[in-house]
Amino acid sequence: MSDHEPIAQAPQGHGPITRVGGIPLPDGNLSDHGSDASHADDHSHGGIGKYLLVFVALCGLTTLSFFTYSPYWPWRDQPHVGWAFMMTVSCTKALLVILFFMHVFWEANWKYVLTIPAGMMAIFLTLMLVPDIGMRNRMVSQERVLQMARPSDVWLMEKAGESQLLAEPAAH
Amino acid sequence: MNAPAISLPQGSRSLGPTHGGNGHDGNDHTNGHGGGHHGPVLQYQPGLPLTRGKLFMWLFLSTEIMFFAALLGMYVVLRFGAPVWPKPHHVHLSEPIGAFNTFVLICSSVTIVLAFESAKANKTKSAKSWMLATLLLGSLFLGVKGYEYAAKFEHGIYPWSPRSRVFEKPDLYYGSAVRARLGEPAMIDRLKELDDTPESKLSVEQVSARRRLLKVRQMVVDPNQQAFDLAVVADQVMPLPTDRPLTKHEGQEAGGGHVSGLNDIFPWLKLPAVIPGGTMWASTYFFLTGFHAIHVMVGLIVFSIMLLYKLGPKRAGMIENAGLYWHFVDLVWIFLFPLLYLF
Repeated sequence: MSDHEPIAQAPQGHGPITRVGGIPLPDGNLSDHGSDASHADDHSHGGIGKYLLVFVALCGLTTLSFFTYSPYWPWRDQPHVGWAFMMTVSCTKALLVILFFMHVFWEANWKYVLTIPAGMMAIFLTLMLVPDIGMRNRMVSQERVLQMARPSDVWLMEKAGESQLLAEPAAH
Repeated sequence: MNAPAISLPQGSRSLGPTHGGNGHDGNDHTNGHGGGHHGPVLQYQPGLPLTRGKLFMWLFLSTEIMFFAALLGMYVVLRFGAPVWPKPHHVHLSEPIGAFNTFVLICSSVTIVLAFESAKANKTKSAKSWMLATLLLGSLFLGVKGYEYAAKFEHGIYPWSPRSRVFEKPDLYYGSAVRARLGEPAMIDRLKELDDTPESKLSVEQVSARRRLLKVRQMVVDPNQQAFDLAVVADQVMPLPTDRPLTKHEGQEAGGGHVSGLNDIFPWLKLPAVIPGGTMWASTYFFLTGFHAIHVMVGLIVFSIMLLYKLGPKRAGMIENAGLYWHFVDLVWIFLFPLLYLF
């Protein structure tokens, strides 16, 4: 990379060229080449203020999802509301990080080539886990049913907690 | 600057005549030669308008997206497919600690971005200090994670079976495990020692716990043992904290809904405990956070290596790639935090 330095100003030189060898130049600039002096020119977004704004937004969103844990969260008895809310917050945070910290917002169209297939694979992968793993408890052997924890065990533990079987001799 | 760059009618790949066979991905190698001596100045068109390093980093990240999607997907699918899944308090997770770690990672994401910006602007000193800050924040994250792991281990929550003291339900297997633990020679000595200790040397809590422990010891060997007795034993050893607490003052008094069991009062006891759904939870928790922690460690190694260099504009591309990786690690945690701590 270092040997590119003397020609780092090159992009300004070929301003009018929009096609090379019949292929359009993406965004009319090829300067995004690791170096560096030219990098500073084409990224007009650079302002530190923007990063700090994103940082504040991320902190705010973290506080929001943490809010579901607080006693003031109004839907404590409906966990699904909290889950949907937290996933929305997480996706927003992820978008902020990807777009601004990872500079994807300012990148050329190649970003779709890499991110969309990976994203789709990720979703398919998760969906494909559902029948084998997600539904594994629908059809299990009797032996397995005897071994695995069931809601009745939680209930049993709660009842044991309430029972006075051992509490009597204790001081309180 | 004024070199006439002429485009080829066909073929996208070409060689600069004065630089035969160079292996660089630069776009203009003939610029300094003011037109050259002969022939047209040809230009090289790379596949994608970005450096190789960045391209590879993004390709690597897209494999990482799939890797973590599989892990997270596995967790989600296991969690919602399980008949019982422990609540965060059942497994001694502390939400404020998780939120703090989220904050630490977000801060480190900002510092690495600032290191990149400083390096671009040729402020090598500030780039280095931002890089150092990132390294320290990453280490802090790992430290907090280590503290959390230690708290799990203390409660007998391990990802694998010989060490793990977690049982799914208070059944006969659980009862015999408690019996086996109480019957270990070292344990017999220790219990005898406890029995012989005068009450004046114990705290009020310990005196009460000793009485309860005695009852538990009788219950596990009782031939007329009832199924419910074992649930009582399990509750005495390590009670399941009540539902998401802190609604009243009592929650704060009990330390976030955490009622102390025999294992907490006498840490040397290390009796088996019951957490319904706890074994699968432990497997997924350590698997997810463990792989994430490995990624954090790799990032820290990269940052430490980078600190050896002069972080000027020449290294900006390198910092950007390391930053991309680090933001991805942050991204994974953004999903892990609510999934593990708040769901």
